[in-house]
Amino acid sequence: MAAASALYILDLKGRVLIWRDYRGDVPASQAERFFAKVMEGEGDPSSHAPVIFDDGVTYLFIQHNNLYLMTATRQNCNATSMLLFLHRVVDVFKHYFEELEEESLRDNFVVVYELLDEMMDFGYPQYTEARILSEFIKTDSYRMEVVQRPPMAVTNAVSWRSEGIRHKKNEVFLDVVESVNILVNSNGQVVRSEVVGALKFRTYLSGMPECKLGLNDRVLLEAQGRSTKGKAIDLDDIKFHQCVRLARFENDRTISFIPPDGAFDLMTYRLSTQVRPLIWVEAQVERHSRSRVEYMVKARSQFKERSTATSVEIELPVPADATCPGVRTSMGTAIYAPEREALLWKIKSFPGGKVRYLKIIEKSGYQALPWVRYITMAGEYEIRMS
Amino acid sequence: MNVDNRRGELGELKSQLRQLAGSRAPGAEDLKRELFKKVTSYMTVGIDVSALFSEMIMCASNADIVLKKMCYLYLGNYAATNPELALLTINFLQKDCQDENPMIRGLALRSLCSLRVPNLVEYFTGPIKQGLKDANPYVRSVAAMGVLKLHHISPASVKDNEFQKTLKVLVIQDPDAQILYMGRVRSRDRTLGTASATAKRMKEFSEWAQCLVLELVSKYVPAHANETFDIMNVLEDRLVHANSAVVLATCKVFLHLTMSMADVHQQVYERIKSPLVTLITTGTSELAYAVLSHLHMLILRSPTLFVSDYKFFYCRYSDPSYVKKLKLEILTAIANESNTYEIVTELSEYATNVDVPIARESIRAVGRIALRRYDINGIVDRLLQFLEMDTDYVTAETLVRLEMLTACIKLFFKRPPQCQSMLGAALKAGIHDSHQDVHDRALLYYRLLQEGVGLAEKVINPKKQAVADFAESQSSEIKDRIFDEFNTLAVVYQKPSYMFLNKELVGNTESESLMGERELSSPSAHDGFLHQSEFSDNDMLLSASEKEDTRLISTGNGADAYSAPEISILDVAPAVSSSLLLEAPATVASQPKPAGTHQREMPLLPEFETPVPSSRQATPPLASQAVPMDDLFSGLSVPDTAAAAPAPPPQQLVLAPRPSLDAKAFQQKWGQLSVALTVEEKLAPTGIMKLATPQPLNVHMIDRHIFCMASGGKPPNFKYFFYAQSQPNFLDPSAQAGFFLVELHVDTARAMASGKIKADDVSLAPAFAELFRVALARFGLL
Repeated sequence: MAAASALYILDLKGRVLIWRDYRGDVPASQAERFFAKVMEGEGDPSSHAPVIFDDGVTYLFIQHNNLYLMTATRQNCNATSMLLFLHRVVDVFKHYFEELEEESLRDNFVVVYELLDEMMDFGYPQYTEARILSEFIKTDSYRMEVVQRPPMAVTNAVSWRSEGIRHKKNEVFLDVVESVNILVNSNGQVVRSEVVGALKFRTYLSGMPECKLGLNDRVLLEAQGRSTKGKAIDLDDIKFHQCVRLARFENDRTISFIPPDGAFDLMTYRLSTQVRPLIWVEAQVERHSRSRVEYMVKARSQFKERSTATSVEIELPVPADATCPGVRTSMGTAIYAPEREALLWKIKSFPGGKVRYLKIIEKSGYQALPWVRYITMAGEYEIRMS
Repeated sequence: MNVDNRRGELGELKSQLRQLAGSRAPGAEDLKRELFKKVTSYMTVGIDVSALFSEMIMCASNADIVLKKMCYLYLGNYAATNPELALLTINFLQKDCQDENPMIRGLALRSLCSLRVPNLVEYFTGPIKQGLKDANPYVRSVAAMGVLKLHHISPASVKDNEFQKTLKVLVIQDPDAQILYMGRVRSRDRTLGTASATAKRMKEFSEWAQCLVLELVSKYVPAHANETFDIMNVLEDRLVHANSAVVLATCKVFLHLTMSMADVHQQVYERIKSPLVTLITTGTSELAYAVLSHLHMLILRSPTLFVSDYKFFYCRYSDPSYVKKLKLEILTAIANESNTYEIVTELSEYATNVDVPIARESIRAVGRIALRRYDINGIVDRLLQFLEMDTDYVTAETLVRLEMLTACIKLFFKRPPQCQSMLGAALKAGIHDSHQDVHDRALLYYRLLQEGVGLAEKVINPKKQAVADFAESQSSEIKDRIFDEFNTLAVVYQKPSYMFLNKELVGNTESESLMGERELSSPSAHDGFLHQSEFSDNDMLLSASEKEDTRLISTGNGADAYSAPEISILDVAPAVSSSLLLEAPATVASQPKPAGTHQREMPLLPEFETPVPSSRQATPPLASQAVPMDDLFSGLSVPDTAAAAPAPPPQQLVLAPRPSLDAKAFQQKWGQLSVALTVEEKLAPTGIMKLATPQPLNVHMIDRHIFCMASGGKPPNFKYFFYAQSQPNFLDPSAQAGFFLVELHVDTARAMASGKIKADDVSLAPAFAELFRVALARFGLL
C-alpha cells in the first residue's frame, strides 16, 4: 500500500496552517498548486471532487468548517483509506478541541503536531482512536503532572481500550437512532426508501467488560426456533465497530464486544423496506410572468393522530437568482435562506430495530446500569415536483 | 523592510534561546516552550528558521517531552537540507535514544530514521538495532518502521545489518500484535507463505494494519482452490467492518483470489455488492465518491451486476455534484433492455435540476443510452420533450440535438409511417438550428433522404454496424490493468497507474503494487516469467473473447515450460512461494521455536514443498539470502534491479535512478567504446502486443532505471538506444559511477530482441547484461 507524502491543513484562502511532512517528496509550497486547482473548477469549491491530480502529485482532501484537510502523495495510493483517514483526523481533533476550526488549530498547534506524529508514520496511518491518543498526548492543562508513557493499547490487541479504567458508577447508555431516507417522484411514486440505523453507545464501565447485545434480528430468532411474527427485522447490511467480534457474529449472530470507553457507534445498518412517507408534500408551481413564480406547497401528515412529529423541516429549492420571496404559512414559520426555504413541523417516532437485551460481564462482577432509548430521525426525504 | 524585520526577530529569538539553554531558573521551561512554539509556527508558514539550529538543540537536550517533540519536528524539517547540521542532530538524537523514558526513546528513534540523509545512514543502524530489542513494544514498533525508512534511503545498509533477519525473529516471537503487523508489512514472503494463517490472525491487527495486510494477501496466489476458499471464509467477516478501507481491501482480496474461477468470481461480485452500497449511503460524500469509482469499474466489468438494483444510484438532492456525476455515469452503464425506461425517466428528472452542469450531464446520459437503441421510441419522446422545455441550457445541449436527429431518422427507417411527421419536424428544427453542426447534419439527412430512403438507410443506418461501445470506453487491456490496481487511485482516475505516476520518481521512491509482487516471486527471471504468463493467462480467461488468439499465443509460448494446465499449477506454486520454500524452513531451523507459539503456521509448508520441481531445490542456498531481502521490502523502494539480479550475481550492481547523460555525450561514448557483450532475449507475447510504437518498452525500462536516449522504427522492426548508470556507492566512494549503453533491435514478428552493450567499466558489463536481459524478459508481463 502506498503511503502519503505529507499532510496539510489549509484555511479557506489557501494558507497553510499545518504542514506535516512524512516522506520528504512533496514540499510545503505544493499546497499552492493544490489550492489553485481547487479554485479553478467552476462553481463552488466544495463541489470539487475530493481527488485531484496535478503534475504527478495526487491531492486527496476533505473540507471541514473553514478548513481544508489534505494529503498529498506521489504514489498510487489507496483513495478510500486516505479519505477515511482524513475524516478520522477530524474526529480526533474534535475530541481534543471540541470543534475543529482555524482558531482551535492556531491555539493548539503543538498538540496538533504531536497528534499528527502519532496518527501517521512514514505516510502510513497508525492509530486514530482519540481516546487512546488522549492517554499519552495531553492538552496543556494536564500535561505537567504525569509522566507520559505509551499506553499498552497502542500496541496490544485491544487497541481501542486501555486497561485499568475506573468509574464510580458503571453505566451504559444506548441510543438506537434510525433515519428514514425516502425519494418520491414528481408523479407521487415512492422511488426508493430505506432506513439507516445506528446503535450509539456511551459506556462508562470499569475494567475490561465483555458486553453482549441481542437484537430482534430475524436470522437469529429463526435460528433459535422462535416466532418471528411482526417483531423481527431483516438487517440488510451491517457494519460493526472494530471492537465487535465479527467471527462470533458470523457463527451465531450474537454481538459480543469489549467496548471503548466513552461514546462510539457500535453498529450501523441499512434496511431497504417500503416505508410510507410520514409526511406527504405536494407542490404546485404557477408562473405569473417571466420573473414571478408562485409555489403552493401542501404538506399532509400520514401518521396516527395521537403521535406528533417534531422538528420537521421542508426544504424547497428555488432558482438561485430568486430575490426576496414573500412567504405565507398557515402553520410554523418559514424563512428564506439562499437557495432554500424551510417550514418547521413535527415528527413522530417510527418502529424499528428493538434491543432485546444488553449484558455486561466483567471479572470483578460489578453491577452496571444499561439505559436504552429509541430515536427516529427523518433522514433524507426527497419529494420531487414537476 | 520586511526581511530586515524578520532577521531582527530571528536574531532576538536566537539570543533568547541561548540564554535559556543552560538556565535552571523557575519558569525557564515555560519560556522555552513559548519560544519553541514561535519557531514552530514560523516554520509552518514557511519562514526559514534554520539559523536557530544549534540553539534549538541546546535548549532541548534537557527538556521535557513536549519541547523535545517540537525540537524533533524542527530537526526533521531542516536536517535534510542542511547536511552539515545533521551530524549535530544525530548526536542529539542518539543520546535521546538512550533515554529512560520509552516515549522519548521511541520518538527520538522515529525522528532519527526520518532524517533522510543518505550519507549518514551508518549512524542510524546502531539505534535501530537496539530499538528492535527494546523492552518496550512502542520502541520496537518504531524501530521496525525505522528499518523501512532505512531501506528507503539505503537498501544496502539494511542488507548489511541483517535487519531482515532480526525482523523475522520479531515477526515470529513478538507477542505484540502491532509489531507483528509491522514485521509482516516488511516480510511479505512470510505473509504469503501463510496467507490463511495470517488471515486468521487478522483480528489482532489494528484497523489500519488490517488494510495493509489485506493488500498483501490480495497479491497472494493460492496453491489450490481450497486454500482460496479458506482465505475467503476467514476474511468474510471483514466485509462488515466499519472501516470502509478495510471493506474495500477485503473486496480486493476476494476479487483477485478468484480471478481464475469465473463462476466464483461472479459470486464475489454479488457478495460484495451490498457492503459497498451501504458505504455509499452511510459514509461521507468523499468516501462515497471513492467507493462509487470502484463500483463504476465493477459495473463496466460486469454490466449485469446492478441491472435490477439501479435505484441505489439515483441522485440525492444533497449529493455533491462530483458524486452525482459519477452516479450518472453508472446509471448510463447499467442501462439495458429491462431498465432503460426507468433509468431514462429518472435521468429526465435531473434535466430540471438546479445544478446546471448536472442537468446537462443527465441529458447527455440520455443521449448516450439512446444510442444503444434499447427503447428508442421512449427515449426520442423524452428528447423531444427536452427540446420543448424552454430552458436555455437544455436546448443548448447540442449533443442532444445531434443525437436526437440521428435517433429520429433511425426510428424512421424502422417504422416509416408512424415517424414521418416526427422526422419532418425534427429535420425542420435542425435545419433552422443556429448551431452549425446540427444544421449540417439535418441538411445531410435531408439530402440523403431526397436521394432515396433506401440509400439514406444504407448510409445512416447500415446493417450490422451496431454501436457496441463508445469511443471513450477503454480497451479491455487497460481495464484489466485498472482492475489489477483495485483500491488505488488508478480506479478513481480510470487509468492504470503508469499513466499518471511520474516514472522517474516512482522508480526512485517506491515501486509499488504489481512490480513489487513480481519481485517477490522469482530468484531467477525464468520463474517470474512462468508465473507471469500464467497470470496473464488467467486475466484473459475472464476478458472478452476477442482476446482468444492472444491467449493461445501466450499458452503456446509457455508451452516449453508447461504443456498441460495441471502442470502449470505446479509451476505457479513454486514461483510464488519460492522465497518461502527457501526461506521458511531456513528460518525455522535457524532459530529455536519458542514453545507452543505459532504452531499453526507450520502445517502449510508441506503443501508448498510437494510441487517443487527439482531445479528449484538445486538453487544454491545463497539465493535465499538474496531474494527475501527484496521480497521483504517490495512494498517500498526497491530499486528492483537488485531483485532481478541473478543468484549469485557476478558483481553487485545497482543502477542509478536518475542518470545524467545527454545525447551528445551518448554519441561520443558510443563512438569511443567497443561492444562488451551482446544479448538476445525472447519477448513475451503480451509485450509484443503493446509494441505498436516503440514507446511502451521505453516506459517499461525506466522502471528498471534503464533510460531511452532514442527510439524509432515501424512494426515489426524497432530500434532503441538505452543508457544506464551504476549507482555511486557511498560505502566505497572510489568506485566509479560508470555508464552502460545499449543498442537494441526488436523484431516483433519473431518476438526477439537483440542488443549490443557497451560499458565504461567492462567488468560490470555481465552484471548489467543480466539486468537488462531480465528487464526485457519481463516486458509485458506486468
